[in-house]
Amino acid sequence: MIRLEDKAEAAIERALSLGAEFADLRMESASGTSIIAMDGKTKTVTSKIEKGCGIRAFIGGGWGFAVCNGLDKLDLSKAAETSVRLARASKEKATLSFEIASMSSCRVRSEYPCRTAPSTVPTEDKLSFVLGLDKSMSAHDDRIISRSARYDDFEGERVVANSFGSLVKTRETWVLTSCSAWSKSDGAVQRGHDAVGNVGGYELVSSEPASNCGVSAASMAVRLLDSKPVPAGKFTCVLDNKMTGLLAHEAFGHACEADAILSGSSVLEGMEEKVVADEKVTLIDDPTIADTFGYFAHDWEGVKSAKHVLIEEGVLREFMHNLETSSRMRRPPNGAARADSYSSPPIIRMSNTYIEPGDMKRDELIEDINEGLLIKGAQYGYVEPAKGQFMFKCDEAYDIRNGEIGQRYRDAILTGAILNVLKDVTGIADDFKLVDPGYCGKSGQEARTTDGGPHIRVQNVVVGGLA
Amino acid sequence: MTGLSDLAEEVVHLVEKSGGEICDVLIVDMWATTAEVERNSVKQAEYTVDPGLAVRVYEGGSSGFAYCTSHEKQDIEKAAELAVSQARAGTPDSDFRGLPEVSPCQSIDCLYDPILASLEPEKAIDMLLLLVDAASDDARVASVNAGLTVSASEIALANSNGLVRSQRMTSFDVFAEAVARSGDSMFSGMDYASSRRLLSDSTVAVGESAKQQAISGLKQTKMETGDFPVVLDPLAAGYILASSIGGGANAEGVQRKRSYLAGRLGTTVGSEILTILDDPTLGWAVGSTSFDGEGVAAKRKAVIEKGELKTYLHDTYTAGKDSVETTGNSSRGGAIWSYWDPPAISFSNLVVRCGDASLDEMIRECDKGVYLRVTFDSPNLATGEFSGLLMEGYAIEKGEVGPAVQQATMGIDMLDMFARVDIIGKQQRYAFGVETPALRISSARIGGSG
Repeated sequence: MIRLEDKAEAAIERALSLGAEFADLRMESASGTSIIAMDGKTKTVTSKIEKGCGIRAFIGGGWGFAVCNGLDKLDLSKAAETSVRLARASKEKATLSFEIASMSSCRVRSEYPCRTAPSTVPTEDKLSFVLGLDKSMSAHDDRIISRSARYDDFEGERVVANSFGSLVKTRETWVLTSCSAWSKSDGAVQRGHDAVGNVGGYELVSSEPASNCGVSAASMAVRLLDSKPVPAGKFTCVLDNKMTGLLAHEAFGHACEADAILSGSSVLEGMEEKVVADEKVTLIDDPTIADTFGYFAHDWEGVKSAKHVLIEEGVLREFMHNLETSSRMRRPPNGAARADSYSSPPIIRMSNTYIEPGDMKRDELIEDINEGLLIKGAQYGYVEPAKGQFMFKCDEAYDIRNGEIGQRYRDAILTGAILNVLKDVTGIADDFKLVDPGYCGKSGQEARTTDGGPHIRVQNVVVGGLA
Repeated sequence: MTGLSDLAEEVVHLVEKSGGEICDVLIVDMWATTAEVERNSVKQAEYTVDPGLAVRVYEGGSSGFAYCTSHEKQDIEKAAELAVSQARAGTPDSDFRGLPEVSPCQSIDCLYDPILASLEPEKAIDMLLLLVDAASDDARVASVNAGLTVSASEIALANSNGLVRSQRMTSFDVFAEAVARSGDSMFSGMDYASSRRLLSDSTVAVGESAKQQAISGLKQTKMETGDFPVVLDPLAAGYILASSIGGGANAEGVQRKRSYLAGRLGTTVGSEILTILDDPTLGWAVGSTSFDGEGVAAKRKAVIEKGELKTYLHDTYTAGKDSVETTGNSSRGGAIWSYWDPPAISFSNLVVRCGDASLDEMIRECDKGVYLRVTFDSPNLATGEFSGLLMEGYAIEKGEVGPAVQQATMGIDMLDMFARVDIIGKQQRYAFGVETPALRISSARIGGSG
């Protein structure tokens, strides 16, 4: 049997022999399980069997990318030929010409830390865990009227190879569990949710956060029963750990992806080494943090992962790069290229994004606010870097009057301008947490990420609501 | 096609022999080509082939599902074995009443465009460059980013009741983002189009529209917080309705009491001028299909008729649970179907019945208000409350569209929004799965930064 790495190198050679100036590939063989339980019963138990390869060829400014769902030599050779044909077609019509700067080759095998491979655990055990989460939600409060509990695991062997001689084999394992609960009282229905995820194996389900995931979701659903729609207007807001993370990710992180800079669609173009935030703000994206959902050791172009200091004490220092943007912007590659599977080309993505802690206490952020909001829990957010606008939606908000926390609100959305919001940060607490595992969507691809930070105080935030 | 249907039937027999007596099998053979432009220059062309197969097995109402990314015998046998074992591992469910029986099903036209199916990547690149020319035809446009994807599939679906269906589908998607700059001002305009047939003219129109919006947005303003009439462009209306009706009327959410539309069947949920259909037979629309993801023949039905909620969207499971006929809304995901996920309830194409007002007339009716062109927000389906960003919204002053509104939000309860639809436009467009004209909402809460 021919080894995967030998097949990979043969395919790269084929692309080069047909005229590619640079070529790389991602080859994967993966399996996984998903279990969804609703209201005490399993809805579906899913198994996946995936294998295939995506090959990229580059000629003078044009890329070609071809995907096949097989790993035999013929499939790979044909995909290599197609990628070169497409690269040539792109190059012929491209008005921009550039080269991919050579990088030192990297030949390594890495394995994400994993004590218990999910594939060695019987489905019945996983099912018992999911039904246990479901039960914990129903037992939490009589007002819980519906529940969903979900478990996902993934085990994959990935080979990344390129024509600079890199060959990175990665054994990737991760587990994610999530719960949603719906409560009802006096005709009003509310939803609570929580998620816990990490690279690693089945040992995650024994952790306290995973065991408490159901109770956490149910508690939120019950808490929100006495909430009111949030008033719309401009407020000073204190953001909790999750919302600080979402702010770092949506309000700034996306605009620091160098593909957005080169495509002319980020307001941060030309802003390197300029002040973009209050001097208290240091904003990081760091895939090297072990034991997080956003962890990876090498990116999907075979570059060793690295900590990205995007903002240092208020000054824009760095963008996140892939091989193309680092070549074109004459910066060292910093390992931010990711693909959500072999069938997608690698693009620049975040990993673990956060704001570093300050030296204030959370209560100090709140005590001198006369009229404001405490914003807790993250639902979702999005940004359009070219408009310089972002939004994100929270789970819960609380009225702050004269330093006291009062009425509970729901579904507040926060919006602002990328170039202003971090200048409006007026306080940073010392209670740092990386807390919010999930997926970030970009160009039709999903990447596992974690966000976080300390509580922070921001002024002039536009809050949207029904009241 | 016969080949795929035969294979689907063979796999059903294989699953039955493995112990999966109640099962369905989806075989997919698809390819796609994509061209991308970054900053006015061709960046990348892609070609994907994605053959695969999905097996779903029921045992005592418990559902097991497995898929593999090939049609190879070894992978198929493994998927069949896994689906059976997963079904056995799950909990029994007495609400499951079985898979669809053999029944007549008329193939609808307008699913497959042979010209599109044979489009070469080089041609896709040429079409995209025409879009770029149109989008960059103004000195203020600093950058155009765009993409065009052509996909085609052949699928076959078979189940253990002897039902066998097959069809071919094509899909065409094009989008453009134009970024305009003037002095310190920067704004981006976007547009897109999708269809099951080749849209050469629309491709250029998408570029022109993105350019126009980018330039329009260079003049910017802020609004104060208050209640104002809002004219929803079909792009914004489509996005909001896809989630609020498509998600809110999903029978699974309703049965589990998670939807704001639960308990409202047969009641008034909107203005009497509001009629919304679910129509899988809509010509060339990307949600159209001859049968749903379980093989049930496609049918057109009113979801809301003159303000009254007429039906929820069912698959066979939820229909069985409510003892009603399925509405044929089981989806296998996406325009050309996918084997990667279990079937789930979804709308096909939502169609909002037209009124008789032009967009200009609708705007002229507002002394002070908002023209919301783009938002990417969805309501909280449990409460029906919507709060979203005016991603691309314009102030209306004295009946005319003015500058783009910066950092502003819209908040409204969905039932209030449906009730406050007081003018409906006469010009439809297809956006996010919804064929809709512009809608005027008499009042919504605008959160402003002014």
